[in-house]
Order: sequence, then C-alpha cells, then structure tokens
Amino acid sequence: MAVENVDEERFRVLLEGEKPVLADFWAPWCVHCRRLGPACDAVAKQYEDLLTTVKINIDEEPHLAGTEQINVIPTLTLYKGGRAIGSITAPGSKYEIDTFIKEALGGQEAVHG
Amino acid sequence: MDDKQIYDMAVIGGGPGGYTAALYAARAGLRVVVLEKISAGGQMALAHWVDNYPGFEDGIDGFTLAEKMQKGAERFGVKTELAEVLSVEFGVIPRVIKSSEGIIYAKTVVLATGAGPAELGIPMEKELVGRGVSYCAACDGMFYKDRTVAVVGGGDSAVSDVLALARTSRKVIMIHRRDTLRAAKVYHDFLRKAENVEFCWNSIVTELLYEERLTGVTVKDVNTGEKRRIACDGLFISVGRKPASDLVQGQLKLDKRGYVVADESTCTDLPGVFAAGDVRTKALRQIVTAVADGAMAAHHAEAYLYGGG
Repeated sequence: MAVENVDEERFRVLLEGEKPVLADFWAPWCVHCRRLGPACDAVAKQYEDLLTTVKINIDEEPHLAGTEQINVIPTLTLYKGGRAIGSITAPGSKYEIDTFIKEALGGQEAVHG
Repeated sequence: MDDKQIYDMAVIGGGPGGYTAALYAARAGLRVVVLEKISAGGQMALAHWVDNYPGFEDGIDGFTLAEKMQKGAERFGVKTELAEVLSVEFGVIPRVIKSSEGIIYAKTVVLATGAGPAELGIPMEKELVGRGVSYCAACDGMFYKDRTVAVVGGGDSAVSDVLALARTSRKVIMIHRRDTLRAAKVYHDFLRKAENVEFCWNSIVTELLYEERLTGVTVKDVNTGEKRRIACDGLFISVGRKPASDLVQGQLKLDKRGYVVADESTCTDLPGVFAAGDVRTKALRQIVTAVADGAMAAHHAEAYLYGGG
C-alpha cells in the first residue's frame, strides 16, 4: 500500500480529523526520501488504525513546506489536534520511525501488522 | 515474526552483497531471511546513477537496481524483514539475532552491513546534520543553491562532490589537510576549469560555527598551527568511509580500521559466518565486487551446512 500524496487543502482537512496525521515531507530529487519509502509504507500499514499517513511533495507544496518550517528532507512530522507534536529528520531505520511515533504519541499502544 | 523458525541463512543488510547471497542460497534450496533496516540497496540506493554495473547499457539509478535485486531474490522465496538488528550472538548454534521485530535464529549468517561515511569527530557535528552539515552532496546540494559551501576531503568522492556543488552553489571551498589531492587525474582538469572553486590547503576543520544553523567553520593550518574562520552555509564531509561492524565487535576478527577480516571466500574466523560486500577487507569496494562476495558467501554457506565445496 503506497502512502497517498496530498496537497495543502487536503492536508488541512485531515488535520481537522480525529486521527493524528503523520506527514512525510519529500521531493522527487531527494534520494534519502526515496530510500525511506518502503519503511514509510510499512509504518502506514502498521499504524493505520491509529494514524493517517500522508506524503507531501515540497516542490509542489512550497507554501505548506514554508508554513511547516521544513528546512530539511526527509522530515516526518506527527500532528495531533491540528498541531505538530514532534518531528524526525532523515531516520536511518524503520525502527527509528517506530520509536519516534511511540514516544510522540505518549505510550499509546501500537498496532503491529 | 515467527520466533521459533530456524533459517538456514540470515543475511544482515539488504545491499547488493546481501541480496546476491540470498538469491544464490535460495536457489540452492536454503531458507533465507534478509534483515534490512530501511530499504534495499544500502549505499547503492543513494547513487543517482550507476554506469558501472554491467547489463544496463544506459545505466540505472541505484534505488531501482536495489529494488530489482530484492525482487529477484524474493522470486525464489527469500523473505525480507524491515528490522534493525540490535545484537548478535554468533558463538551458539543456531546463531541468535535480536532485532527490533523479534529474535531470529539461523544456522549461518552473512554479514553484509556495508559501510557509511566517516565523521570528522568534532563537537556539534551530529547535532548540525540537516542544519548545514551533510555527508551527501548528491542528496543535499540543492538546499545550497546560490550559497557558499565547503567540502572537507581530498579523494575522488570529495572532488566529485566539489564539482557537483560548483554547478549549483555560488562558491565552493575545498578544505584538504595536504597540499595536493589524492583524487584521480581525470578530476584535476575539471577542477581547474571550475571558476567558483577555492582551495584551502594544509588545513583541518577544528570547529563548527553556528547559530540556528551552521554559519562557518574554523580551520587550522597543519604546518603553522594558525587558525582562521571561513564563513559558509553548508559543510559537506567527504573524508572516507567506515565499516558498519560495531555489531560484531568482539565476535569476529576485525582489522584496525574496523573491517571484518575475510578473503575472497568471505569466510570469517568463525565457521558459518560470512562477510560480504563493503564490510569485508578488500581492495576494491564496488557493486560488482559486492555481488561476487554474495555468491561466494552462499557457496561456502552451502558447503558449511551440507559438506563439500
């Protein structure tokens, strides 16, 4: 299951929802972002009951990247209640993303796929 | 993950060496799992274009080549786990591999963990990664379009980084601890022609200057000891590579640079444990030599399990 790419409008709608949102900020020219893809897909599936995971292409959404202060990619930011509660830059493993999500959600039980 | 299953072979690292070992072993009828922490390919997956892997007349990007290697191995039943290996116990049979996704047992292990960029080892280096400090010009160069950047190093990859950055950055300062480059001759002409490249010879970086982001570096002249500051928006570190062998320290014989000691057979000092690809002591670290290692590791693993070879 590939993670959906969203524009700013769709992103804002998702932030209004009940589920926390994990946003993967990326760009087509970023090789590290591409490497993160399979791990990001696996995380999206593993946490699908807890989180909505989306991708945001910063080249197509420069305004959104600006307002979210994305200076480095890949950056994964977790939003809860409409605001960013944590972010991680260039994680080196799926395990690092898992740990980040668990810590950011404050010990909520993760769903293992 | 099924904790009780014992694999014939566990491959740690899903780069070209790892997936080739897996492919050959699976085709020989072994049950194989590849433990990869993020995605197939290792360092190769970060290569924008690979022109020296035979069979692709127009070249191929490293990530796609990695995906093809993974799928090619999985076609023969190889299982991939997106798992980070936390510790290994090679002194028992089956070998025990503790990972983020559970414990894996295997009769043989191919260590194909590769190598990564070496660090300068100066204060704030880690903290400023992504805020001015980078180890990959191909990855992060675009963030420094029309800015001033510095590159540390004097080998082929440092010069290649300088030339790539010179195309987009305003100015590139090359900092090298000697007064000549180790880089291959072919690069020297290109460097001479690049108008926005400056050299800072006989110098080492001793300090990173920063506010929110990197603002410059302090360099020290290795002959006079004199220090001076250089303003730059980005610092690209290209001072060689270091093997990813921390995991096996104390369990396998390593050379003084940390590479796992093994010859072309890929056999380490521990029977049934093999080292393939960049993590092994070898003269030439390339994709083609990594895949050759993979085939050798599978061959010797089969001999270890069933005799012969």
